[in-house]
Formats: sequence, structure tokens, C-alpha cells
Amino acid sequence: MLPEQQDILWTFLSLAFTVFALYVFISVIQYCREREDVSLKFWGGIFGGFLLVMFLETVHMFDLNQVQQLSFFFGKMCLTMILLLLVWGIFFKSTKIENQSPPIIRAFFWWTTISVLLAGYTNWLPQQRSDPPPKAAAFIGEVTMEEYAEMGRVIIFGTKQVAGQKAIGKGQCPLCHTFDAGDNIGRCPNLFGVNERGATRVKEDRYLNEPVKVGDKEPKSGIIKGAPDQIPEEYRRAGAGGYDSMTGEDYIRESVMCPTCYVVKGFGKAGDKVSPMPVIVKPPISLSPVEVNAVIAYLQSYTTPGDYANVTVPLPSADGGAAEETAESDEEAPIFVTGAEPIDEIINTLGCPLCHTIPGIEGAEGELGPKLHEKINAAKRIKDPRYKGKATNTKEYVRESILNPSAYVVMNEEENELYPDGLMPQDFKHKLSVDAIDKLVDFISQTEG
Amino acid sequence: MLGKTRRLNILPIALFFAFAVYMMPGLAGDAFAKEAFAEQAFAEQAFAKEVMAADDDAEGEGEPEIEWSQDVFYKDFEGNPLKGPVSGAPAPELGENDYNNYEFAPSRIILWMANQQHLYFGSFVLAVPIFCMLIEFVGIRSRESDPVMAKKYDMLAHDLMKVSLTAYSWTAILGGILLFTFITLFPGFFKYMATIFRPVMHVYALMFLAESGVLYVYYYGWDKMNDGGFLKWVHCSISVLLNLIGTVLMYLANSWATFMQAPGGIDEQGRFLGNIWHVIHSTLWNPVGVHRILGNIVFGGGIVGAYAAYHYLTARDEETKAHYDWVCYVAMFICIFGLIPLPFAGYWLMKEVYAFRQQMGITLMGGIMAWLFIIQAVMIGLLFFAANSYLHNSMSRVQGSQRYMKYCKYMVLLLIVCFTMWMTPHTIVMTPAELKEMGGAQHPIIGHFGVMSAKNTAVNLMIVTTILCFLLYQRANKKITVPWATAGNCWITAIFVGAALNIIFLGVYGYFLPANQRVGLSVPQVTTTLTTLFAGTAINISMFKDSESMGDIKWGTQSKVGTYAIFLLAISFTWLMGLMGYIRSAVRLFWHVTEVLRDNSPDAYTLTIGEAGKMLTFNTLFVWVQFVVVFWVASLSAKPAAAKAPDAVPVPAQQQ
Repeated sequence: MLPEQQDILWTFLSLAFTVFALYVFISVIQYCREREDVSLKFWGGIFGGFLLVMFLETVHMFDLNQVQQLSFFFGKMCLTMILLLLVWGIFFKSTKIENQSPPIIRAFFWWTTISVLLAGYTNWLPQQRSDPPPKAAAFIGEVTMEEYAEMGRVIIFGTKQVAGQKAIGKGQCPLCHTFDAGDNIGRCPNLFGVNERGATRVKEDRYLNEPVKVGDKEPKSGIIKGAPDQIPEEYRRAGAGGYDSMTGEDYIRESVMCPTCYVVKGFGKAGDKVSPMPVIVKPPISLSPVEVNAVIAYLQSYTTPGDYANVTVPLPSADGGAAEETAESDEEAPIFVTGAEPIDEIINTLGCPLCHTIPGIEGAEGELGPKLHEKINAAKRIKDPRYKGKATNTKEYVRESILNPSAYVVMNEEENELYPDGLMPQDFKHKLSVDAIDKLVDFISQTEG
Repeated sequence: MLGKTRRLNILPIALFFAFAVYMMPGLAGDAFAKEAFAEQAFAEQAFAKEVMAADDDAEGEGEPEIEWSQDVFYKDFEGNPLKGPVSGAPAPELGENDYNNYEFAPSRIILWMANQQHLYFGSFVLAVPIFCMLIEFVGIRSRESDPVMAKKYDMLAHDLMKVSLTAYSWTAILGGILLFTFITLFPGFFKYMATIFRPVMHVYALMFLAESGVLYVYYYGWDKMNDGGFLKWVHCSISVLLNLIGTVLMYLANSWATFMQAPGGIDEQGRFLGNIWHVIHSTLWNPVGVHRILGNIVFGGGIVGAYAAYHYLTARDEETKAHYDWVCYVAMFICIFGLIPLPFAGYWLMKEVYAFRQQMGITLMGGIMAWLFIIQAVMIGLLFFAANSYLHNSMSRVQGSQRYMKYCKYMVLLLIVCFTMWMTPHTIVMTPAELKEMGGAQHPIIGHFGVMSAKNTAVNLMIVTTILCFLLYQRANKKITVPWATAGNCWITAIFVGAALNIIFLGVYGYFLPANQRVGLSVPQVTTTLTTLFAGTAINISMFKDSESMGDIKWGTQSKVGTYAIFLLAISFTWLMGLMGYIRSAVRLFWHVTEVLRDNSPDAYTLTIGEAGKMLTFNTLFVWVQFVVVFWVASLSAKPAAAKAPDAVPVPAQQQ
């Protein structure tokens, strides 16, 4: 449901509550008419009042959005319902009526309680929404190798990472592969050092002969094994040669385009003859040439943070395949934020949730940077003797933190050490319009825990 | 007594027979199906090539050539993708104009609601004729030995059909709503599906007509054909026909869903390759069909049980209370009988999902859907608790059950331990500090319970415990008199102890094997459980020969806890059914048809668990409101004359 729409469950339950209040009212009137010693006026008035309140509350539910509905339903309507049940019990007790609520009512409450508890349980669990990947990669202008490798990381892991949980991007690699040294979930090989390993592996006898011989075509993917120069042109490495000149890059490229060309021992099917891995350049993943190169750039560099000397793939050029994609994907994923976007979109586009916990932004539970509770924290930090910036109020502090993150580095009180300086990108001034920065500052200045 | 003892076997045998009839074609057939159809398709392909070559020779050059393309699923003998003549347009690239919406709710949510409500009712109206067929058959078979019981069985079947008839119309209306919702909100997607499934849709409509005709003859001909002889058998045979047509209907509709999840018979561009059977019989068709039949039986049992439980609570006289208490028992018996093999059908389905795309299986079990499977585990645990709670409470009204009641607390304890193990997640979301404190993503001790070895062990032990509970319930009021009673008891004990030890051993052994080999251990674990079910029940029933009754069951004395356990089971299963349906459908992620037709609507995202949970709760409550209305409408018609109560309160076959 969209935030501005009503929640279907709470709306339904509020309607059900009104029907129940109507039933109670009619039932009480019937009892009162059957018994002369029970005041119809008194009890009818009370339960008529409940019916009216419940009806008005239900009508009001239709004026609220789903977030407001949740608090109104549990804060007001459930309270009214409990009072109604209480007074109904008092009515039975005081009038000494033995035949109380019929089983259908008890069954309804039993069913509703179980079902709502189940819904509550699902809301108590960690929430993760999965958005469809963009149809093509987005590129504007020149990119650095760092940015290119970062794009590869996002393709593998997505933009949001939650500690203890495997984040998954368009490539879906972490479903099966692990990336940290020594980590192994047993589904597919660990990719730590795959670039170096690949360069030596292609010389092994097993690579030469199993499951497909070098020079033979693997039927599922249509790729000729050990022939980087015969890879489809759009994916082919510039200057690629034959088997004798195969590099780690060629091995990785072949592995993603033809997983069954070589199956690591113990990770295949049918006696390690068939790889369970999908062909990454075909549906459902369908990485483009630029994206495949970005993934290779990440795999070649992530073991040496900040050092991109091992990366052999070229940067995407404006006149290459990437440029063609730019034309059709400009509108889909701009990296320049104009300020016309909703605030959560701005924050997600900039990747803030990756490191920060931001109240009010779904999924923003990053732990690498400080929690953004700036409504209270900003003032404290300005007064901190370590603070050397120029801000005098919360908004100025937030603006400065975005545009010049190193002006003040926050202390991680749990670890009793400073959060790492330099982790936060320094180039937001190139990515944000004046409107966007204003919007962002306004929002973050109001965040509180 | 002898006559009664003989009748005792009828219901389980009838149920077993019915399961065999439904499951054998699917289970046995599927083992050979792919090869056989590949062979057939290969031959067709070769034939088509010959014909084309002949045509080419005859017509010469310049004629348009038929284009051949590779199937996304089917393979030939050598394992290469099967080729077929391109016979349709490619799947369209859907745009904004292919989706419509209302302002009050996303289209996807509306379609989900319409679909789920139709499926719930469809499930019910398919399940009830199965019950009626069995109950009517049991009634006919027990006519000579116990005419009063025979009449009660017959009346019960008739009453259930009356409810089903109203529900049938309701199902058709909901189906219409679903169809209109689909056409109006997703016209582009519907057009593609209609293009591929055009002939199937027409056959479906005709089968619906046949189902209606047979249903009306079956229901309205009940009294006229109730001559106690040949016509009654004809009437019972009509119920078999009714179920056959119903099953075909369900399988046809299943083919649309299974095609969307794991397509076959088309190429990568979504172009139809000329063989409609390939499109229908995609890889998940059989497991989904069997899984749904079993699910329908459990769901139907739950609804009938809840219906009877409600009437039991409202009954004002002892006779009515006794009757509905007995109906509760029959419904729960059928429900639990369907519940026990249900997880195994689920395993089969998941195996086929993994075989289709491992990635899809991992998305379900280890990716974004993994938490939903934890919820499923909780729900299954809840179902087993409810079922066992009902059996424990029901035992208390059986004279002689005190001998076994003392074991109930140990069974509950075992269920709690297994349930805890069953719902232990592999990993959970943690802060870095928590992660550091625990020493990794898995807890050093509890983490061991998060893997499949532990979970398979736990769920198999829960099922074995439920089987044991059921066997004790069966023999609660019997004094075993067969000369081999001691040997029989020893055998039953040995079977259960041996099964438990074997299941635990296999579970522990799994920790010492690599993950890909460990998965294979679930097969002997499941086999052990099934052996326990069939061997234990067979020995137990055999021991009832010439047994002495320690007293009749006091029907009508069911405790309220037991009655509410039935409600719990019914509502939990409704929710669980919605959950599993959502998982099956949502695993397509952003595809209408996996890897072929992309969902480009604004609703293409996968919901958070919380959003999905609220929808499931809404669907569950909404359908139960409708069921109540349907039951009420069915009760408006004149009630038939009540069967004369037997001198002694009737005891169903299993209890004598």
C-alpha cells in the first residue's frame, strides 16, 4: 500500500467493530424489551452511544493514511471496543442474564485475535522490501575506477546493508557466494582472491579438460571455453587473445557468462559436470557489458581497499556501449539529485542508509556511521571542544556535515573510538542541487530517536 | 462386535484408497513424464522437420520458412534445449498503458485479494465432494452392519453437499470478479496469458459446465437415488465423476500459475513453440497439483470442523451436541490425515523448484523469502499443537483413556522442544556490536539448530509424535485381546523408538556431511516417518480384532478447549494457506512470467513481511466472514428430518 492510502486490514477491522457495536446495541434492546425490570432507555442510551462513537471513529479511519490509522486503531478504536465489552459484561452481570454472547461472537474474537497476532508477528520481524532492478545501468559523464568498482559492489550487494544479514543486489551473488576470507556457506565457492586464483587456475589440467575441453563450445551458454577472443563482441575484453594469454579477468568473465565451462570441485551437480549458477548475462539477471565489467572491477579490487592497481577492466567510455545505455536510462536513475524527489528517494539515491540509521526512512539502519538524531545531537556537537567547524545552529551543522564531512568526526560511544574519517563521500556538493540540499538539511535537522 | 470390528477398517482404507488414486498418477507419472514427453516432443520435432523439408522441396525457394527456437525448459535426449516451431508473438515489453489502477489501493493488492478469496472458496468446494464421496461410500458399506450409522453418514454427506452447493455459486462469482479484475487492471499481461492459454481457457470453461451439471445431478438426485441398492451405487459413482472433473478443473487452473512461475513450451522471448501440452505440463505442475489436493483436504476438514464446532457450541440438546461432536471428529480425522503427508508434498515441490532454478530455491529458503519460511515453520508448529491438543482433549471423553493420558504431557514437552528447534532461524539481523559479542552470524550452540539437519529432525519427530498420539487415541477404549498383544505392543514400541533414533541419528550425521550431500538425508528421514505411519497404524488396527470395548465414547462431552483447538486449526491453516500461496507467487519477484515477461508496473516490488502479513490476516478474516454468510444462507433452507438417534450414542468406526 502507498503511504497515502488506507490500510486494508485496519479499515476492515474498524468496519467489523462497527457491525459488532450494532449487534450489541440490537441485542441489548431485545433483552431490555423482554424484561420489564431492565431500563431500555438507560442501557439503550449507553450502547447507542457506543455505536455512534464506533461509527464516527470508523468514518474517521477513512480520512487517515495508513500510518495514522495504525495509531488511531490501537489507540482509540481498540480502547472503545474494550470499554464496550466491559460495559456489555456489566450489563449482563447487573441484569443477571445468563445467556451471554453467542459462540459466533466468541469465535470471531478468537479468530481475530489469532490473525492479528500473526500479522503483528510478521511486523515484528526484520522488514526488507525488494525493489526491481533498473532495466539498464545508469551512467552520466566520467567515472573514476573507485566509483566503477562501487557500482560493481552495488550490483552484487545492493545499496542497503544490514549487519548479520546478507544484502543482495541485482546480481544476486550473495545468495550462494561468500566474499570474506574463510567465510563459507557451502553453496558456491568463496570469491576472495578470485582474480589471482583464476589466473593460475586456467593453467591447471582440470581446467583444460573438465567438464568442457578448452576450445569446445558449452551448449547452454554458447560460449567457447578458454577463448576470450571469441566471447560475444559487446562483452569481449579489448585486445583479448586466445587461451595462452588468459588472465584473471578473462576467467571471471568466462565464469559469469558460462558457469559450466569450469565447475569448482564439490560445488557442481552431476558429479561436478554442471554448474548450478545461472548465466549472468541472460534473464533473470541479465547484466549488461558495463555491469559485468563493474562486477569484475569490484572483484579485482575489494581485497585491497583503496588500491585499484589490480583492476584490468577499462572504465566505461562515453562513446562506448555505456553511452548508448545512458540515453535510455537517464530518467531512471539520476545520480544528480534535483530536489524534486521525495525525501526518502533523495536519501536512498545518495546511499545514506548504507552507513546511517535515519529515523523515518524505511530500511535506513546502517551502523557504519553515527545515528542521525540531529534534532538533539547537533547542538551538543557544536558545543563539543573538538568541534572546529563554523556552524552555529542545527541546520548549519547538518549542511556542513553533508558538504564537508571531515569538519567534525563523531565519537562512537559503544566502541569508545571515533567513527572512521574519510568514509563518507566528500563530493555531495557535486551531486545535490540547492533545492535538494535544503530539503535534505530540513529533514535531517528534525530527526530524533 | 465382530461386524463392528470389521467395519472399523473402512474409513482409513477408503481414505488411503482415495489418496492413492490422487497421488499415484502424479508421483509415479512424474518420474517418467519428462523423459516420455521429451521423447514424444523429440519425435514430433523430427517429424515436423521432415514435413518442412518435404514442403520446402515441393514448394521451392521463396516460401516463408518456419522459424525454430529453443524451449526455455524442455530438453532433448542429449540435454540440449528442445526446439519447436515458433507459433506465437514474443512476450510484450509492458509499459504504462498496460496497467490500470484505482486510487484507493494498488492494483496488485486488489488482484491478490480477488485471487485469494476465489482460491479459498475453490479449495473448499473441491474438498467437500471428496469428503462426501468417502462418507457416502462408508455409509453404503456399513448399511448392513449398522443401519443407523449408515443413515447418519449419508445425512452428513448430504448436509455437507448442501453447504458446498451454496459455496459453489459463491466460488463462481468470486471467479468472475477475479477475471474482471485481471482483465481490467492488468490488460497487457492478461492478453499474453490468453494468447498462450487460449484453448486451455475454453476447455476450462467447458469443464466448469460439466462440473456444474454433475454437481446438480449429484445433489438434487440424492433422495431419488437413495433406494439402498443399484441407484445408490450409481449415485456414489457420480461423486467419483464429480471429483475427477473437479481435479481436472483444478489442474487446468494450476497450469496458469505454474507456467507463470516456471514456464515451459516457450522460448526465451516468450514465443509459443506450438505444443500446448508443454505449456500446461511445466515442471511444477504435478507437485503443485498434489500439494493443492492435500491442502484442499486439510482446509476443507478445517472448515467442516469449525462449522461442526460452532454448531456443537450452540447446540441446546444432548442429541445435537453428540452429533456435532462426532462430525467434529470425522472432520478432524480427515484433516489430520491430509496434514501428515502435506509437508512431504511440499518437499517434492521445493525439490522441483530447485531443479528448475537453484537461484529460485535459494531466494525462497535463504534469500528475501527466508523469513516467510520461518513464519511457515511457526504456523506448522501451531497446526501440530492444535491437532495434538484436540486429540488430547478428545481422549478425556473416551472411557479407558486414562491409561494413556499420562503420556500426553511428555508428548507436549517433545512437541515444544521440536517446535523451538524448528523455528530457530539460521541467522538474524544484528547490530555489529551484537554480532561481535556472539562471535559470528551464528550462535555457537543455538546456531546448530538453525540448519536443515536440525529442522528436518524436529519436524519429523513432531509428525511421529502426532502419529503416536493418534494411535493411542484409536485404542483408548479398547481392551486388546488378540493372543499376540504383547508382541504387537513390542513391535509398535520398537517401530516408534527405532524411528525416533533413526531420525535423530540421520539428523546428527548430517552435520558431518557437506551441504549438498546433507540435503539427501531428508529422504530416509521422511521414509522413516512414513513407515511409522503405515506400519504403526496397520499393527494397531490389526490388534483391535475381537477387542473388548471399555465403554462407548461420551459424544457431546467434548471440552471447550478441544473445540477452540478446532477453531485454531481452521484459522491457522487458512492463514498458512495464504502465506504459502503468497510465497509461491512472490518468488517470481519482478516477473509476471519468470524470466520472460517482466512486471513493469509500479507494484513490481516485493512486499515487506509486515505488509504481506497484514494482507494475509485480512484475507483470512474476510474469507471467514464469507464462510459464515454461506453457512447461514445454507441453513435457511428447510432442515431435513433428523435421523433417529441410535439407542446408544453412535460410535464411529475407528473407535469401536
